[in-house]
Amino acid sequence: MIAFLSFAVIVLLFTVLVLIAKANELANELKDGKRDYTTQSKINGYLLIGFLIAMFAGSAFAFKQLMPVMIPKAASIHGAQTDYLFNMTMVIIGIVFVITQVALFYFAYRYNESRVKEAYFYPHNNTLEVVWTIIPTIVLTGLIAMGMYEWFSIFNRDDRDKNELVIEVTGKQFNWMIRYSGKDGKFGERLIDTAHVSPTNELGINWEDPKSHDDFLSDKLYLVKGKGVLMKLGAQDVIHSFYLPHFRVKMDCVPGTPTEFYFVPTMTTEDMRKYLSTLPWWQTVNPETGQPRWQTFKYELACAELCGKSHFGMEREVVVVTQEEYDAWLNKQTSLYDATIKPALTKKDEAKDEPAVDSTKTEIKKPQAMLVGKPN
Amino acid sequence: METSPSVEHGVHGHHDHVHGHAEHHHEETFLTKYVFSQDHKMISKQFLITGMFWGVVGGLLSILFRLQLGWPNETFPFLETFLGKWAEGGKISQDFYLALITMHGTILVFFVLTGGLSGTFANLLIPYQIGARDMASPFINMLSYWFFFTASVIMLLSFFIQTGPAAGGWTAYPPLNGMRNTAIDLGSGLGFDLWIAGMALFIIQALLAGLNYVTTVLNMRTKGMTMMKLPLTIWALLFTAIVGILSFPALLAGVVLLEFDRLLDTSFYLNNIIINGHLLGYKGGSPILFEHLFWFLGHPEVYIIILPAFGIVSEVLAVHSRKPIFGYKAMVISLLAILILSFIVWAHHMFVTGLNPNLGAIFTLFTLLIAIPSAIKVFNWIGTIWRGRIRLTSAALFAIGFVSMFISGGLTGIILGNSSIDIQLHDTMFVVAHFHIVMGIAAFFGMFAGVYHWFPRMYGRFMNETLGQIHFYVTLVGAYCIFFPMHFMTGLPRRYYSYGNFETFNNFNNLASFMSVVAIIVFLAQLLFVVNYFYSIFKGQKLEGEYANPWESNTLEWTAPVERMHGNWPGDIPTVYRWPYDYSTNGNDFNPQNIPLKPGEATH
Repeated sequence: MIAFLSFAVIVLLFTVLVLIAKANELANELKDGKRDYTTQSKINGYLLIGFLIAMFAGSAFAFKQLMPVMIPKAASIHGAQTDYLFNMTMVIIGIVFVITQVALFYFAYRYNESRVKEAYFYPHNNTLEVVWTIIPTIVLTGLIAMGMYEWFSIFNRDDRDKNELVIEVTGKQFNWMIRYSGKDGKFGERLIDTAHVSPTNELGINWEDPKSHDDFLSDKLYLVKGKGVLMKLGAQDVIHSFYLPHFRVKMDCVPGTPTEFYFVPTMTTEDMRKYLSTLPWWQTVNPETGQPRWQTFKYELACAELCGKSHFGMEREVVVVTQEEYDAWLNKQTSLYDATIKPALTKKDEAKDEPAVDSTKTEIKKPQAMLVGKPN
Repeated sequence: METSPSVEHGVHGHHDHVHGHAEHHHEETFLTKYVFSQDHKMISKQFLITGMFWGVVGGLLSILFRLQLGWPNETFPFLETFLGKWAEGGKISQDFYLALITMHGTILVFFVLTGGLSGTFANLLIPYQIGARDMASPFINMLSYWFFFTASVIMLLSFFIQTGPAAGGWTAYPPLNGMRNTAIDLGSGLGFDLWIAGMALFIIQALLAGLNYVTTVLNMRTKGMTMMKLPLTIWALLFTAIVGILSFPALLAGVVLLEFDRLLDTSFYLNNIIINGHLLGYKGGSPILFEHLFWFLGHPEVYIIILPAFGIVSEVLAVHSRKPIFGYKAMVISLLAILILSFIVWAHHMFVTGLNPNLGAIFTLFTLLIAIPSAIKVFNWIGTIWRGRIRLTSAALFAIGFVSMFISGGLTGIILGNSSIDIQLHDTMFVVAHFHIVMGIAAFFGMFAGVYHWFPRMYGRFMNETLGQIHFYVTLVGAYCIFFPMHFMTGLPRRYYSYGNFETFNNFNNLASFMSVVAIIVFLAQLLFVVNYFYSIFKGQKLEGEYANPWESNTLEWTAPVERMHGNWPGDIPTVYRWPYDYSTNGNDFNPQNIPLKPGEATH
C-alpha cells in the first residue's frame, strides 16, 4: 500500500512538474526565431553562486561531523608516513579544489549573459598555458618522488628487523587461518598435494617435519609492539585481501602465489585506547555496548577483496601487546600437532582410516575427475 | 530518417564522384527506417535510447543496494513481492546484493557510458561535424548497434535465470569467477557465462564501431576540413575510438580464457585451489594474469568513457560562452597525451596484488603524470568561460557541472595514484567516491550537456529548459551529497553487505542512510530527464525555419536543414573555410565554418 501510494505521489509530482515547466516554456517564446537567455542566465548565475557557497559550507560541515569518526591515526611506522603523505596531498589538492571551483562558478556567474554585453575573443595565451603546465608538473614531481621513496622503504628487505616475527595468514571462504611458528620460531613444511591436503589438514602441513610440531593456529592475530612482523600471506580458494586498517596494511592473498607484507606496530591495543580516551567522539557512549567507545576499541583484520557472499564477515581481532605479554600468551598455546595429530597417533588402529569427513562442511560440486590423484 | 523523395542526393562529397540516381529514392519501410536503419542519425538515437533504458536499470539496481546499505537492519516487504527468493522477508540476500553491485557496474560502465555515450555522439556528430553524408560504412554501423542490442538482450536475460546474474564483481576476477562447477556462490553459474557472452558481443560492437569512426574521421572530411579545423568533439571521439580499438581485444582474450577455465577446466588463471580441504586439479595458472588483461582494457575504459565527455563539454562551453575554446592546440595535445598515457597506467589497480615494487613505482609515475594533461584541460575550460557571455542553458549548466565534478573527482586521483597511500585506500569507499565522481557523475554530466545541446539537431525541437534545470540542480547537489561525504569513509572496504561485523567500520550508519535517501531523490530526477526527453520529442518547442541554428553555433551540423534527411544535406555538402571556434570575432557573434574568410582575415 505504501509502495503504491509513494508511486502515485511520484507520478503526481512529475505531472505537476511537467505542467509547470510547460507553462514556463510558453513564456519563453521565440523572438525572431531566437530565444532570449538573459533572464534564465541571471537566475542561474545567482543559483550557481548559491551552490558554490553551499558546497563550501557543506564541506566544512562534513569535515566537522565526520573527521572525528574516521579510522584513527596509524599504529605502525610506515602507516604514520603514508598518513603524512595523504594529509599533505590532501592540503595541496584542497587548495587547488578551492581555487578552481571558485573560479569556475564565479566566472559562470560573473560572465553570464545578463551581466556581459560582449564576449572577449581570447583564443590562447602561450605564456599562461606554459605556466599552468609547469606548476602542476613541479608539484606532481614532488609528490611522485615522495611517494616512491615511501613505497620503496615499505618494501625494502634490508631495513627489516633481524628478529622479525613471522606469521602465516591464509584466507579462505570465509575465514582466516592464522598460523604461528611456535616456540622454535620455525614453521613446519607445507606440501600442497593430495597426500597432505585434506579436510582435516587444509593447509597441507607435513606432520613428519618436526618443526611443525609446535606450530599453532590462533583465533586472534597477536602482534608485538615495536617488533617488526612479516606477514606471509596466501589463500586457499579465491583471492582475499589481508587488510589491517589501523596499521595501513593491505596485501592480496592469491591462491597459488605467495605474497608478504612487513610492518612494525607502534601502539599496543591499550596504548591506542588510552590515546582515544582523550578524543571527544571516542568518549561518547556507544548505544550498542553502553560503554564509551574508546573502552571497546579493538584492532581488526578484514578482507578487502571481494571473495563471495560472506566477504563482509571475515573479521578477526588483532591484539598488539608488549613482548612479555606476548611470551606469556605464546606459552599458553597448544600446538596443532598436540591437539589433533598426537591423540590420533596414540589410537593407531583408528588412525589408519581417513578421518570421517563432515559432509555438511565439505560438500563440493566439483566432479571427482578434477581432484588430482596422489602424486607418483 | 524522414527522407523526402524530392531531395537531390547528387553529390557525395567534393572529392569523390558524382552519382545522381534513382537508387536513393527508394521508399523506406518501417523496418529499414526505424529498426535496421543504416542512417547514422537513427543509429545514434537507437544507441541513446538503449543507453537510457540501461541507465534507468543500472540506477534502479543502485537504489536496491542502497536500501541495504542505508538501512542494514530494516526489511522492505515490497522487495520480496518483486524479487521473491532474492529478497526473502523483504531483505536483499547476500548473494543478490553482490549481483546488484556487479550488474550496476557492468551496465553503467559498458552499456550506458560506453555504448550510450560514445555510440550516441560518435554516430550523431562525426558525419555531421566533418561534413559527411554518413559513416564510411553505414552497414557496419548498423551491425555495431545490433551487436550492442544483442549483448544488451543477453545481459538482461541473465536477470531472469534461476541462479541469477553475475555476482562476482564487474571486474570478474578469477578464481571467484573462474570455476563454474564449484559453484562457490550465486552468480558464478550460468549468469556469469551469459555475462561473458554479453561482454564478448559488446566488444565486437565496440571494435566495429570504433574502426568505422576512425575511418570516417580520417577519410571523409569535407573540403577544407583539415584536422586542425575539427571541432574538439571529433578529436575526442576519434581518440576514444582509437583507445577502444587498441584495448578492447585484451579484454576479449581475457574473458575467453576465463570461459575456457570455467567450461573446459583449463588452468589459465587457476593454481592450487583448495576448497574445503579438497585440492582441485588446476595447476600453474595465475589469477594475476587476468587482472593484467582486465585492467589493460579496464583502465583505458575510463578514458573511453570520459574522452567523449571532454569533447562535448569543450564544444558546449565554447558555444554557450560565445567565445573560442581556450587553447585549442593544447586541448588536442592534452587529449593525445591522455590517449598515450592511458595505456601505461593499468597496474595502479593492482598495487597491492603483490606485484614487484619496481613496477608499482613505474605505474605511480605514469598515473600521476596523467594529472598534467587533465589539469591543462580544466584550466582551459575555466579560461574558456572567463570573460565570455555565458548563456546559462541546461546544456551549459551541465557542462559547468561536468568541470566541477571532474575537478573534484580528478584531484582525489592524485591521492589514489600514489602507490604508498593506495595501500590503505585500495578497495575502500574512498575509491568508490573517487571514480563515481570523476567518471560516473562527470561522464553523465557530459552526456546530459550533449543531449540538451544536440536534441534540437536530433528532433527539430528543444528540450524543456525548466525541467532541464531542475534536473541539473537536483543532480548536482544530490551527487555531491552522496559522494562528497563518502570520502570520509576512508578505509571502509567496498562491496560489503553490512559493516555490522566490524567495530572499526560500523560508525557511519546515519551517513549511509542519508546517502541512500539522496540517491533515491537523484534517481527520480533522472526519471524526470527521461520524461522530458520523450515529452519533448512530441511536444517540445519547435525550431523555426527550414534551417535553424538554435545555439548560434559554428559547426557544420547546424548548416543542415532542420528536417533530417538521408545524406544530411540537400545538394552539395558544405565546404569549410574556418576554425570551429570563431566566436565573438570579426565583428560577428559567430562565424560558421562554411562562411568564407573575409579579405585580410587570417585563419587560426
